[in-house]
Amino acid sequence: MTDFAVATKQIKTLALKAGATVVGVADAAAFDVHAPVKHRPADLLPGARTVVVVGGAQPRAGDWVATSPWLLSTMGTTERIQGVGRRVAQAIESELGYYALFVPPGTASGDTPFLSLMLAAELAGLGTRSLAGPVLNRDHGFMYWSAVITTAPLEVDPPDAAPACPAPPCREMWEREGTTPCLRVCPIDAGGCLGGRLEHDRPVRTAYDAGRCNTRVHTHWVGGFQKVLEETLNEPDRERRKMLVYGDFMTRTLWAITYSSTNIAQCFECMRVCPAAHGLKEMR
Amino acid sequence: MTVTETVKAVGLRAGARVVGVASAEAFRAGVPEGYRPEDILPGARSVVVAGGDGPTAGAWRSADHRVMEITGYDLRENVAIHAMCDHIERELGHYAVQAPSLPVHGHEPPMSMMHAAELAGLGSRSFAAHIILNPEYGLLYYAALITTLPLEPSPPLAEPACPHPGCVAMYKRIGTTPCLRVCPACLSGTMQNARIETSTYDREKCHSRAQTYGIGSFQKALLALVDEQDKARRHDIIYSDFFTKSVESLGFFRDSIAQCFECMRVCPVGRKYRKLQ
Amino acid sequence: MTFFRLDPELYARHKDEVLRLCNSFQTIERRGLSDKEIAARLGLDERTVTEIRVIAERDSYPLDEWERAIAFKRKACADWAALALKRPELKEP
Repeated sequence: MTDFAVATKQIKTLALKAGATVVGVADAAAFDVHAPVKHRPADLLPGARTVVVVGGAQPRAGDWVATSPWLLSTMGTTERIQGVGRRVAQAIESELGYYALFVPPGTASGDTPFLSLMLAAELAGLGTRSLAGPVLNRDHGFMYWSAVITTAPLEVDPPDAAPACPAPPCREMWEREGTTPCLRVCPIDAGGCLGGRLEHDRPVRTAYDAGRCNTRVHTHWVGGFQKVLEETLNEPDRERRKMLVYGDFMTRTLWAITYSSTNIAQCFECMRVCPAAHGLKEMR
Repeated sequence: MTVTETVKAVGLRAGARVVGVASAEAFRAGVPEGYRPEDILPGARSVVVAGGDGPTAGAWRSADHRVMEITGYDLRENVAIHAMCDHIERELGHYAVQAPSLPVHGHEPPMSMMHAAELAGLGSRSFAAHIILNPEYGLLYYAALITTLPLEPSPPLAEPACPHPGCVAMYKRIGTTPCLRVCPACLSGTMQNARIETSTYDREKCHSRAQTYGIGSFQKALLALVDEQDKARRHDIIYSDFFTKSVESLGFFRDSIAQCFECMRVCPVGRKYRKLQ
Repeated sequence: MTFFRLDPELYARHKDEVLRLCNSFQTIERRGLSDKEIAARLGLDERTVTEIRVIAERDSYPLDEWERAIAFKRKACADWAALALKRPELKEP
């Protein structure tokens, strides 16, 4: 007879040893209220009971203060958390004898993921949504997530009661100027992606242009390739076609597609200015 | 152990073959503005460089050149860099970033790993495509980190790795070296007093060899495709071995990294490590 | 702001000079110039120089050169194996 309190601790210890910074467990049924059909744990793994979520592989302190725009966008570390998720899935099956499904980090179709990893992180008590959008952990800030759906009835963690956003400097800035760092760096009213406000010390997002955000987070990616390919095919002049196919945008986009593991995310500006995104440890 | 030695030990344990250190200041002399460590990480003091192994000795012996086109190297020097970055930030409380080394505008990366390896005392430029040869191991692949942590710079190489004594003797005899002889299309050079006197390298021709199937070949074939009016010829291009392999190399990036080793195959530096049973 | 497109005539006018000054054709005793340095020398803006250089890198050789590359490697590797492994039957005719 499995002691699931012990089993949960065992899996969490393994996850942290494998490189996760944080680990939590969500109730699979809790997704039903928030997630659309076909994107809930039981849609992916019949009989799903819990979802183990690991967070980590976040940009280093040095990455956030770097002045080169190429650093975060070409030397990304998001994939380092995927290996942890896989190890957790394998451990659940081999050591506990329950089904485990590592949630694929890609998209099911278009831009829709199999399961929202941000929602999983929230439900596992690992963070809360920020005004800018990403889920922030109170201690470590912005992180990357991986999730494992399982039929094992592990012990569930409660949602995080104290949100990281808004951070105290943001509250002060809102009082003073009616904006926050993330809203100021990328305002939807001035060609950016974000709109919102702070209300009773809570972030309220009123607007988010996902399409525009995509052109920034995935500037050099499948969508950009499709766009420049279309321009090329529609260009009647042979020399101008060459300018597009050999040009800087196409070349960089092909590099990013090829070295996708480190080029996954290409815009961090809302998180760069966020006082809650970089973790608590001071560097020299 | 000094701080520098512990950082190096972390890198070696994580799979680097060699680890060296250069001061961030040392980059100012030979590097244009915008491409120096301080342009990437404000307050940068040191650059730690890890060199990783290339193909195994067995791979070098294959008569099928496609083997090494696909299995060129395994990027472990990057793993060593991440291990050292984590150590520097978590244990030593200083900023550390992996130096961005992927090309971002054409062939050009934000920072030269070759130059970093030279300044960190890990190797010197050779006749062969100006590849940095480590005097002990020959061809290695390099990655670097930039940090605000002050570390002890490694001494520069006492003697350049190239030319090897065997190449000096060959040059005296027949006026060429193994690498210059095998690839006159990309390379040319002269020697004087057992030192490189002149050396040229046609990087664009080399690109067609070192990255035969990759981003460049895909662009070349794509342009041919969009310019082709004839439907049947378009079909032939799309399903050709060349275009198929080009697309594959986009999907499996390891296929596209390094695809020509002919100048290194004939290079005597580090060859003793390729003689096994 | 529209998508940056290089005028083919501007490209044709400057490509050889840009290639000469950058890192495409290297000599060991001097480094290639950065796009910013080339721009200052040619009186162009940096973005334009970057675009010219990137296109010119790819345009340096025709697709035929890739076919020659495949043949070169096949022969060089086989010939080396024939000699170093003492297997003359591997040598390409």
